[in-house]
Amino acid sequence: MTSLTDYLDTIRVVYPSLVTAAALGIAGGIVGTFVLLRREALVALAMPQVVAVGAALGMAMPWQILPPEWRTLVPALGAVIIAVLLLAWSRRQREGNWLLPSLYIGGLSLSFLIIAHSGEHVIEMQNLFTGMDVTMTPRQMLIASPVLLATGALCAILWRRWLLLAQAPAIAEAAGRHTNRWETLFLCILAVILLIGTSNLGAVMVVAVLFLPAATALPWAKRIPAALLLSMILSLIFLLAGLILSIEFSLPLSQSVGGVGFCCLVISHAAARVLK
Amino acid sequence: MSDEKVAERALIEIPHGAFGYAKRPVVRLDNLRLVSGRSLGIFGPNGSGKTTLVRGLMGLLPPMEGQVVRQRDNLHFGYLPQHRALDHNWPMSGIDAASMAISARSRLGRVGRNRAQILEAMRTLGVDDLAHRNFSGLSGGQQQRLLLAGAVACKPDILVLDEPTEGLDLRSRKNLLDFLRGALSTGLCIALISHDVQDILQSCDEVAWLHPGEDIGQPSTVEMITPNDLADRVTHARRAS
Repeated sequence: MTSLTDYLDTIRVVYPSLVTAAALGIAGGIVGTFVLLRREALVALAMPQVVAVGAALGMAMPWQILPPEWRTLVPALGAVIIAVLLLAWSRRQREGNWLLPSLYIGGLSLSFLIIAHSGEHVIEMQNLFTGMDVTMTPRQMLIASPVLLATGALCAILWRRWLLLAQAPAIAEAAGRHTNRWETLFLCILAVILLIGTSNLGAVMVVAVLFLPAATALPWAKRIPAALLLSMILSLIFLLAGLILSIEFSLPLSQSVGGVGFCCLVISHAAARVLK
Repeated sequence: MSDEKVAERALIEIPHGAFGYAKRPVVRLDNLRLVSGRSLGIFGPNGSGKTTLVRGLMGLLPPMEGQVVRQRDNLHFGYLPQHRALDHNWPMSGIDAASMAISARSRLGRVGRNRAQILEAMRTLGVDDLAHRNFSGLSGGQQQRLLLAGAVACKPDILVLDEPTEGLDLRSRKNLLDFLRGALSTGLCIALISHDVQDILQSCDEVAWLHPGEDIGQPSTVEMITPNDLADRVTHARRAS
């Protein structure tokens, strides 16, 4: 059993990552609920691969004018913007079926091809996917956490709009709302979470907090605000449980969070089947 | 203005027009009017352009030919979707479903002060006791009345109903049609999309019957007839076949 002092020592070292993970958990719990309800899971899986392509470009051809922590983030942002524009365009044209799987496999392949001959970058890229050995500076935390929280809050405030767009877009159109613009805004919100989450904490952590708390909460919620609140709370519980597991058994944090979340998800759905 | 005059106001008038997508007209029509206090049935087979026509009437599609004359620019449309078309995976209560139409009017989708208006409409339709019930657990008739309460709470000038009696039992269907007849007397204009001749016969003053073009790619044409004529002709056609 690890002593409290050891816990505090560990937390003192990794607190920027933990604070950002908590912010990601809160925002991910909210956005993830809508990702599942809107059936946008493939976007959430494909976008980290797009982030990886941008990050790989930043590693292979670093822009020296940028501070070191921005050298992978800026190209990743560029790649995400292009992907969001492509997605929004393809949806307007109703030709989106091929795009997301293509972005997924294209991103997975290109990100490693770009840096294939640089062993150091390959390890860095593997860490970006797995979330192992990721460290954040307090400065990165101060930028990432408020952006994540603000994005999550915006998504939560607009819950009635997401409900309307999913259930009855014709009502929105009849009231003069531009449904395409709102759809694009949701893509942007999701992209912000995925970009900041993937580039700072790795793809495993961001996908885990997007899907698992929301999927665990949804069978028990009767209204969307309740689903959002439950999903946020579960996200923080998974994070805390994952942290304890990772310290107690020297396990990687992201995978511990994902493992705890997955077990809770299975229990939640099994219990919902039995009790309902 | 007297009630009679209010009832005769043409809210939308299309002397001649065509609506479609990507430079291809889907439906062509002459002399269609939506009048305050009257109900227009929109009847036609699948794929004949009923939705395109409604989108054109609502101003969501510009006319490709002719013109649409609106009484004023800020005509308010209400829309009643088919309750079966809703995604029941979304956790929502009765009042959440009824609030959708009013939330569409708000820039950020907030309902806030309009909640009382929604509850009032729910009371009128006899579904106020369903406000906190799980929407997906309700019957089709209850779901449809909740959505209708939301649509009328917005006090639209024109209410568009998309197959409103689809999947409803006889009693729910009668209640809904009775309510619509009552709403017409308040000056509301109704556009009712339906495959059901009986619905149109019971609640419409005039019918826009869409006849698909004879060749592929040719636009549908709209014939304006009375509900009784529609019923006679459909009955004859069924007997003949």
